[in-house]
Amino acid sequence: MKRQHIPALAGLLIVAFFMAFPFLYGANDYRYIMSLLIAGFYYAILASSWSMLAGYAGQFSFGHMGFMGVGAYTAALFSHYFYLSPVPTELCTEFLIGNQYLVIVDAIGVTSSTLNQDCLRQALTIWDGSVQVTPMPVWLGIVLGTVMGGLFGLLIGLLVLPLRAAYLALFTLGFSEILRATISGEIAITRGQAGIEMPYLFEQGITLFGRYYDKTDKIPPYFVMFFLLLTCLAILYYLASSKFGLFVRALREDQDAAAALGVNTTRYKIMVFVITSMMAALAGAVMGYYVNIISPNNLMILQMSLVVAMAVIGGIENIFAAAIGAIIIQFVLEILRNSFEIGPFTVDMTIWRLVIFGVLLMLTLRFARNGLIIPIIDYFSRGHVAAETVAKRTAGIDKAEGRS
Amino acid sequence: MTKLVVHNLNKRFGGLHVLKDVNFEIEGPELIGLIGPNGAGKTTLTNILDGAIKPNSGTVYLNDRRIDQLEPYEVARAGLGRTFQVTRSFRRMTVHENLLVPALALDHGLDRTEINDKAMEVLEFLTLDHLRNEYAQSLSGGQQKLLELGRLLMLDADIIILDEPFAGVHPTLMKIIYDYIGRVNDAGTAIILISHQMDSIFSLCKRLLVLDYGNLIADGTPDTVKNDPAVIEAYLGVDDDETDVTTGDQAAP
Repeated sequence: MKRQHIPALAGLLIVAFFMAFPFLYGANDYRYIMSLLIAGFYYAILASSWSMLAGYAGQFSFGHMGFMGVGAYTAALFSHYFYLSPVPTELCTEFLIGNQYLVIVDAIGVTSSTLNQDCLRQALTIWDGSVQVTPMPVWLGIVLGTVMGGLFGLLIGLLVLPLRAAYLALFTLGFSEILRATISGEIAITRGQAGIEMPYLFEQGITLFGRYYDKTDKIPPYFVMFFLLLTCLAILYYLASSKFGLFVRALREDQDAAAALGVNTTRYKIMVFVITSMMAALAGAVMGYYVNIISPNNLMILQMSLVVAMAVIGGIENIFAAAIGAIIIQFVLEILRNSFEIGPFTVDMTIWRLVIFGVLLMLTLRFARNGLIIPIIDYFSRGHVAAETVAKRTAGIDKAEGRS
Repeated sequence: MTKLVVHNLNKRFGGLHVLKDVNFEIEGPELIGLIGPNGAGKTTLTNILDGAIKPNSGTVYLNDRRIDQLEPYEVARAGLGRTFQVTRSFRRMTVHENLLVPALALDHGLDRTEINDKAMEVLEFLTLDHLRNEYAQSLSGGQQKLLELGRLLMLDADIIILDEPFAGVHPTLMKIIYDYIGRVNDAGTAIILISHQMDSIFSLCKRLLVLDYGNLIADGTPDTVKNDPAVIEAYLGVDDDETDVTTGDQAAP
């Protein structure tokens, strides 16, 4: 086996490990560890797609969590406000589609569950159990969230076309913050800071390989998130290895030179925004259904900083390094929660963990600008290049001097 | 046969009139020197030909297709390539990947193997073949210049503009660049060569265009241009019969 094949082999082993983990691990903290891993996969999708946007294409966007929020809120609003009913409520806005009524519930904000009832709840009270309404399918919410993420990606991609470097970062930060402020402020529709509830990923539970899993079981969402991560990584890897990857890297290096060599830089800049935004939105929608709630706090700049830090510490110019970085950081941050004592002093790690994490980020930026994982991958995949260069140069000199 | 027609080109930046009614034509695989003092408008003209900036008025036609309103990537696909005054290689991409960018962007119908073979041939010609998997940032300044020229070979353009290809280049590499220019030109590509190195310009080019303050003050053979009083004045600010334009030196009394 050649040394260059070791990273691929290691990747397969990691995949096999995560496939087997839920069935092999049996400690008391099973649900906690599974939750950490699901969140780790979620952050890995965000970090790897952001590494395509920022690391490969050089579009240093701070709007990635905004796109995540677009996906999650689209799915949440869809599941929250749209239902199918066999009979009209005559209270809500509704349209007859086939033999069912599409019911659009009126937005009455955070008071809906206490003081006032929305139109559908009023109708259900009147019907007193004689009519069953059907919630919208979760998969459709995820699809709509992903598509909406793509549309926002297209819009932002078009708007940032003339912007580079710091201006792009500031613009996308502005977009994300405006989105968060709008969601926080539109209490009647989004329920503001209280967040909007979402149904479970598998509300009715699911049977897999002959075994029934309850809606609160960790295994179905674990595999959903894990396969989403693998799918996103496969798509990103395909893109990175194709001419798309070549062109967006050329775009990162020198947009004018790439254009002068025939690369339609506008097209690729927009495409990279759309594709990575869709991935962020997809992750957001699925995560929202998994945790049953999405709130504006998920869009905070602190969350974006976390994704950036994960990608940077793993390695911003490699999607796999960013993904591995995200999962490792997710665990490191949890491990750092454990407070400890030094003599008479108690170190409260709930506060200090972010300081330690910040120091780790600073040290990485200072001493390992390619991140901590990329040098390892490069050691195996590019370790032969220097020797090859020397060998070819020597062969060239031999040839020039007539030696065989 | 390649035909570039530049007609009444004007460009203003605020109060500065950088190009003033510039007219010239290039027909066939000519090797033309574009010279002029600093600020004459050479780079602006290049940027307009390449599509990076748009003229205020005037037209540019390449092979009967109007290109002055096209985007740079469309101009490249139409058949015009260029290098930059300051080398602009894709530094964090390998030497080989640098060559793949134009080949794949233009899609000449070659498959990957043919493109790789062509890239290897270009790298061997430019003596960069042993560096093909190295990142461009590891190359010396001169080698990066060669790499930029190599990318143009992959572009297969009808006309190329070389902006200061000899600046800061060692004589050994200079020889390779001379060979490059000869080879590209022999293959039927027209070349516009911009350089302040007059000896190179005068030895290589059969025709010179001279820009001064946005005016095309001369268009002719090196001998004609060398003795043109307007050119001598533009370069030295004096009308001195004893001045050699080819070197910029004052002749000995």
